[in-house]
Amino acid sequence: MFDTEAALALLQYGDSAYPAGGFAFSWGVEGLSADDLLSGQVDLDDLVFEHLAFRWNTMDRILLRRAFIAADLDAIAAADRTAEAATPSAQMRDGSHRAGRALLGVSVRLGGSLAIAYRAMLSADARLGHLPVVQAIVYRDAGIGFEAAQLLSGWTLVTGLVSAAVRLGVIGHIEAQQSLATARHVLEALLAETPDSDVQPSSFTPLIDIAVSRGPSRHVRMFST
Amino acid sequence: MKQMLTPTKPARISAARVGIGGPVGSGKTALVERLIPALMARGIDIAVITNDLVTAEDAERIRRSGLIDPARVSAVEAGACPHTVIREDPTLNIEAADELERRFPGVELILLESGGDNLASTFSRDLTDFWMFVIDVGGGDDIPRKRGPGVIRSDVLVINKTDLAPYVGVDLDRMHREALAVRDNRPVLMTNCRRGEGIEAVVDIIEREVLFRA
Repeated sequence: MFDTEAALALLQYGDSAYPAGGFAFSWGVEGLSADDLLSGQVDLDDLVFEHLAFRWNTMDRILLRRAFIAADLDAIAAADRTAEAATPSAQMRDGSHRAGRALLGVSVRLGGSLAIAYRAMLSADARLGHLPVVQAIVYRDAGIGFEAAQLLSGWTLVTGLVSAAVRLGVIGHIEAQQSLATARHVLEALLAETPDSDVQPSSFTPLIDIAVSRGPSRHVRMFST
Repeated sequence: MKQMLTPTKPARISAARVGIGGPVGSGKTALVERLIPALMARGIDIAVITNDLVTAEDAERIRRSGLIDPARVSAVEAGACPHTVIREDPTLNIEAADELERRFPGVELILLESGGDNLASTFSRDLTDFWMFVIDVGGGDDIPRKRGPGVIRSDVLVINKTDLAPYVGVDLDRMHREALAVRDNRPVLMTNCRRGEGIEAVVDIIEREVLFRA
C-alpha cells in the first residue's frame, strides 16, 4: 500500500533543495573533471556506480545503520569515531564533517531533539559529525524509518554527484536525467541486498579519494570536495 | 536513552552577522579590508567569512593583509552557486559563522562577503541580520535603474569607486538620486575604498543599526 505520509517525507528530505549545503560538495567530480578523467555521461555513470557500490554501500550504509539503531548518544558517537578512523583521506574526512555538521545544524534549528543533544557533543570532539551518522540522527528525528533513511542517504549522494557534473558542464540537463535513471537501478540493486549485521565499514575508491585529496592544491576550486 | 530525553539547548548565538554582496569586481573585498581596521578602531570584535567563487583568493587576500588574525577568516566554497550559498541554502555559511563564534567567544560582528554575482542576489534573513549591496561607478550609472533585487532590497546600497566617475562619464549626484528613488529613500552610501573615503559612514550605520550603539 502506498504510504503518502512517508512518501512526502522522502520528497522533502530527498529534495536537492533541502538546505544542508550538499550543493557545495562534488565528492571528486570537480577534481576528476579538471584532470580530464571525467568527460561525459559514461564517465559520470561509472563514477556514480563506484561511489555507490564501493563507498556508500560498504561504508556509509553500514555507519548509517549503526547510528540508526544506536541506543544512546555514546553509541552514535562510537559509529562516528569509526567513520573517522576508516577514512584515511583528510579531505574526505573534512568533507564528511562539513556536510554532516551542516545537515545537523539544520535539524538543530528545526528543533530535532536528538540533533540538539548530539550537537552539544560535537563542540567537545572535533572527530564527530560525519555525514552518514548525522543522516541517521536527522532521519530519526524526522520519524523516517530505516529503509527510507537508507534510500535518502544513497539518493542524496547520487543527486549531489549529478548536480555537480551539470554545474561543471560535464553533462547537460537531459543527460543528467539519464544518469539519475541509471543510478536508480544501481541503488535499487544494492538496497535489495542487506549487509550482514556484523560487517565492518570499508571502502575502496582510490581514484575518488586521490581526486578529493588533491583539492587543496588546486588553484581553481569551486567545491568543498 | 536517558541522554536523548534531556537534550541540551544549543549555545546562544550572539554575534551579529552582516552580509556584503554585489557584482564581481565592485569592491566587496576592498570594502571588507577598509571595514576591518575601522571597526576594530571602535573596539568591535570581528571575524570574516568569504564565499569565493572559483578560488580562495579573497580569503587569502584578507588573511595575508595583516589587518586581522588569519584564524578569524573562514572561506566557504559556493559549489558554483553563489546565490544558493547565501540565500536558498546558507547552511555552510551558518556553520562557518557558528564555528567562528565557538572559537572566538567574544566576537560581536561577523562580516560575510559573498562571491559576487550580477544584480539578483539577496541574503537569507536566516543567515544575516543586515546586508549591504556594493555596486561601482565603473559598472555604469544605469545600475540603480535596473532595480535588481540586491539594489532594491539590501539594507544599505554602497556605490563604490566614486573616484572613477569623471573617467566613465557618470553623474554621481544623479546616480545617487536615482538609487535613493528606487530604494524609497533607504540608505545609499558613497565610497572610494581605494582611498578610504566614505568608510566611516558605513561603520556608523553598522554600529547604529546592527550593534545598536548610539
